[in-house]
Amino acid sequence: MKERIFSVVYMFFLTLVFTSVVSLVKHVNAEKIRLNEEVKLQAVVLDALGIKVRSGPLRNEAVTALFGERVRRSEGEGRAIYTGYDETGEEIVGYAFPAAGPGFWGPIQAMVGVDAGVTEVVGVSFPRHSETPGLGARMTEPQFRDQFRGLPLRKSGGDAVYFRLVAPGSADRPGELDAITGATMTSKAIERFLNRELDSFVAAAPRSRTGRE
Amino acid sequence: MPAPPPNREIIRNGFWAENPIFRHTLGICSTLAVTNVVANTLVMDAGLIFTMALSSLTVSLLRGVTPTRIRMMVQMLVIASYVIIVDIMIRAHLPDISEALGPYVGLIITNCIVMGRCEAFARSNPPLPSFVDGLATALGFSSVLLVIALVRETLGFGSVLGFRVMPAGFTPWTIMIMAPGAFFVLGLLVWAVRARFPQVFAAPGKR
Repeated sequence: MKERIFSVVYMFFLTLVFTSVVSLVKHVNAEKIRLNEEVKLQAVVLDALGIKVRSGPLRNEAVTALFGERVRRSEGEGRAIYTGYDETGEEIVGYAFPAAGPGFWGPIQAMVGVDAGVTEVVGVSFPRHSETPGLGARMTEPQFRDQFRGLPLRKSGGDAVYFRLVAPGSADRPGELDAITGATMTSKAIERFLNRELDSFVAAAPRSRTGRE
Repeated sequence: MPAPPPNREIIRNGFWAENPIFRHTLGICSTLAVTNVVANTLVMDAGLIFTMALSSLTVSLLRGVTPTRIRMMVQMLVIASYVIIVDIMIRAHLPDISEALGPYVGLIITNCIVMGRCEAFARSNPPLPSFVDGLATALGFSSVLLVIALVRETLGFGSVLGFRVMPAGFTPWTIMIMAPGAFFVLGLLVWAVRARFPQVFAAPGKR
């Protein structure tokens, strides 16, 4: 009996000690992790808007400064919309909005940038996903993402979508882009949710705000 | 309690003769999951070495007081704590690598080798030999993962650490990136090593 009580008390205090240490480590690093995530989001937005950040030391500071100068955040249709401005801070260069959908293994989060007139895609990036490294995860590589740059926001084909991911090397018609080799499911998932999200963004487009409607 | 073996023997055993993969064929899940790209394998290895050395040390330090009945709970707590610390540190200081590894760091918790060494060695040996044992076994395991990753990335992508090593016309073997590729490389490697060093890896009793 005594041994059992000792086991319980011992486990209790040991757990207390270890969780305290883990909490302390977490607490000490929490601010840094939060900043990392914030800078990451800012970098993703800038990337989707096609605004170049100079690389090198102090990149994080450069990202935050540039984001502050060139991007305004607003809420629209239940999601955040980031409006990008040119160097003068007056002319709108484009809009970026977060998009998300189910991937093969877990949710995929994307950031999509479109030009000021909502006529073409400026950039797409995938800041968060849990696809297979080396296969589906290659969606984050420039080789795949760069294909979206300049994609016209015009539906084509019988199924009326903005883009279609086809077997790599066989993309020849408008709206066709190379899928990711060996990651058919991930490619299909991207095709499905990005088309849908583009559709809903275009439908509610901030076109009216640019006075183009 | 028998005296612990000398450090040289612990290192030789952990790294080579009792290598978790060659000898026991343990830790296969991580072997399959993280070895398709060398960079991921390296960080995973570093996390595993840290976790294993310190878990063995801690379990050994607590060995006098821990009741036998709840020792596995204690080991799990120790291992999980170190793994979470590794995860937090990577997220805070190496955000890019944390990105690439995603859920794999957490997978160290379920790596049976870590708990295996705590159970087989650290709970009945003094702290220093236990630390050495954890370190040596983790290094032995990590080296094998690295060899597999080198083969898989070279054949599957034609690159090593992202740098092209194969000629331009090389067609990547996509199967190498996927789980079956890991099975092929692992099987061939274990076979080659055991065939080449029959004395070291012979079944017990046949040595």
